[in-house]
Amino acid sequence: MNPSDSDASRFRSTSTDRRGERDLDDLLVHVARGDQVAFEAIYDRLAGPVYGVVRRVLRDPSQSEEVTQEVLLEVWRSAARFDPAMGGAATWVLTIAHRRAIDRVRASTAAAGREQRNAEVQTPRDEVAEAVEASLDRERVRRCLDALTEIQRESITLAYYGGYSYRQVADLLKVTLGAIKTRIRDGLIRMRDCLGVS
Amino acid sequence: MRLLRHDLHALAGAYALDAIDRGAERERFTRHMNGCPTCVGEVRGFREVATAMAFAATLEPPPALRAEVLAAVARTRQLPPEIRTHARPRRTRTWVPWVPWLSGAIATAGIVIAVLFGFAQAHTQQELNQARAQSQSLAAIEARTMQELDQARNQNQLLAAIMAAPHVRVLSQRSTKGGVAVVLLASVRHQLIVTTTGLPALPAGKVYQLWLIGKTRTVSAGLLPAARSGQTAPVVASGLLAGDKLGLTVEPAPGTTHPTTNPIIALTV
Repeated sequence: MNPSDSDASRFRSTSTDRRGERDLDDLLVHVARGDQVAFEAIYDRLAGPVYGVVRRVLRDPSQSEEVTQEVLLEVWRSAARFDPAMGGAATWVLTIAHRRAIDRVRASTAAAGREQRNAEVQTPRDEVAEAVEASLDRERVRRCLDALTEIQRESITLAYYGGYSYRQVADLLKVTLGAIKTRIRDGLIRMRDCLGVS
Repeated sequence: MRLLRHDLHALAGAYALDAIDRGAERERFTRHMNGCPTCVGEVRGFREVATAMAFAATLEPPPALRAEVLAAVARTRQLPPEIRTHARPRRTRTWVPWVPWLSGAIATAGIVIAVLFGFAQAHTQQELNQARAQSQSLAAIEARTMQELDQARNQNQLLAAIMAAPHVRVLSQRSTKGGVAVVLLASVRHQLIVTTTGLPALPAGKVYQLWLIGKTRTVSAGLLPAARSGQTAPVVASGLLAGDKLGLTVEPAPGTTHPTTNPIIALTV
């Protein structure tokens, strides 16, 4: 077994464990039929990642809490529109979460929001880091991110965790638009292979 | 054109990370994705990477949030699935029990797919009614529809591409002369697929012709092929515009440039 094999199996056994995904898919099917108990189970499994990613993007705890609530309510409302053909339940939920956080950022960035967000970066960072210190996922992702070129890594983290558009990323990294598109895509392809995503 | 396509394809990464601003560019990529299974697969894989990144950022939400969300859930109505069907015109029907209505819609989707691909056991209107009456479990119908859809996807690329477009709707309408037209509508692609069941046979020299009828133009959307066991093979019509009606008329063979008789079906799509 080479290292990437064992990495892949470790990854699967944590967040996107095949059975875990199936469970989540099933739970979502029940949620679509109005099953509140199934929804509680979804909450317990996904509220952490949802809040985590929203908080990464927004930084502000109270805004993040608000958006997290919106996202989870959206999951409840539109569970019937979940399409397993487009990916697992976790991916569906976290795509909604990220998109909502981004919408919130882009809506407020026009004002002075951006500077304030940047100013806040320093403070909550340690807290965030501490809370996820023990996470296997975090280690896995960190290691795969570390395997990227610097510009790939920076563009992916700025886009996903930072909530910047690729045009903004290009501007921040002083790279052309064409180059940044390619870096993000190439980086994601490497991440995908490193994480053992099919 | 090639360059442009390549350029668009490179956006798959940015798209998966929600890093394309809303607007023309994102729409262009979404449209491109409709005809690009590679892009769809790529975006899907990238979203899984993003999911892993989200899990890696897991952070315990404030404990009070759980109760708040559950309370909000308890007082929030859920959205129905996106498959919709149109009621017959001129007669207002009140769809009170939405579950039978829905299973009707899903069964109708099953019919379209069965008719489209000529399955021997093509479901009939009667079977649809039966399904309604038996109030079959939604999940069973859904599962069967999904299964048929999967088979169908493998069978024909064009039809499959249309069916795979986002927000596909299934509409059905009875003609004034009997028989039913079932329409699968992919507005995003400006295309639709029409099949019919049980239209009366026409005398020699007459054909059924489809029309797209809009405010500014009326164009032929093709002729219905001859029916086999009462069903016509799928006709794909392109150039659908918002607000169009789909019309079906009887015309002298081999069809006309403008409708010369009253439509036996006029369906707002």
